Amino acid sequence: MSEIYSSSLPKHSVQNELQLDGVWRVVVLNDPVNLMSYVVLVFKKVIGFDEPTARKHMLEVHEGGRSVVWVGLRERAEAYVFALQQWHLTAVLESDEAH
Amino acid sequence: MKRIEVKLSLPVVAPLLDVIRELGDGLRERLAAPLTLTDLDEEFRDAWVAELLVAQSGDVELLLALFDGEFFTEGVVAFDEENAEMIVRACAAVRLRVREHFLLPLGDEALETGEVDMMKFAEPVRKAFMCYLFLATVQELIIQHLDSSILES
Repeated sequence: MSEIYSSSLPKHSVQNELQLDGVWRVVVLNDPVNLMSYVVLVFKKVIGFDEPTARKHMLEVHEGGRSVVWVGLRERAEAYVFALQQWHLTAVLESDEAH
Repeated sequence: MKRIEVKLSLPVVAPLLDVIRELGDGLRERLAAPLTLTDLDEEFRDAWVAELLVAQSGDVELLLALFDGEFFTEGVVAFDEENAEMIVRACAAVRLRVREHFLLPLGDEALETGEVDMMKFAEPVRKAFMCYLFLATVQELIIQHLDSSILES
């Protein structure tokens, strides 16, 4: 967004933009229902992981309760959460405050 | 086209369909997994939920359509490259709902390990648990045989 354009926007919109900018983490949470093989399939299908990577993340979810499966800009992170939700996995977005 | 035909025991599976139908109805109006993005714009959030519900309903309808007249005469259901993805998702949705409605008293650890003494529970819970296991078996079959079809679709 250019300086000239942003200066014409209301202040709260600019702040909102800033909050949505930056890096976001897509975190998948454990649930006691979905099968391990199903979670691996979903990770391969939705995130595009290969088999070993999908298994690694599935085990993180299973054993640690959560796994960060993608990091990047908010809009694409939301798209991943939507897709994971369509496959009935519980996923949340976390702002990566370190960036 | 790759296709799996599975012969099922009618006396075992037919009673489980009542559970799937009952819970499937609820899945037309409510997401199986909770919506976690709470900071979305309300309009966007409503559109998002509506789209998810349409997809979820379509998946569950396809699952129920497997158990049609042919199933009740032959006891056979078929999975192929066209229905595998939707069926495997529908099974996940119904299983989540089965847990929510019937299986919470079993505890999550028992559900994850499968170590459940079914004789301890009343008939509706036993039937729901059988349904839960049946749908998991369907998922395993599809993932085992049609995994590549789902990934390429």
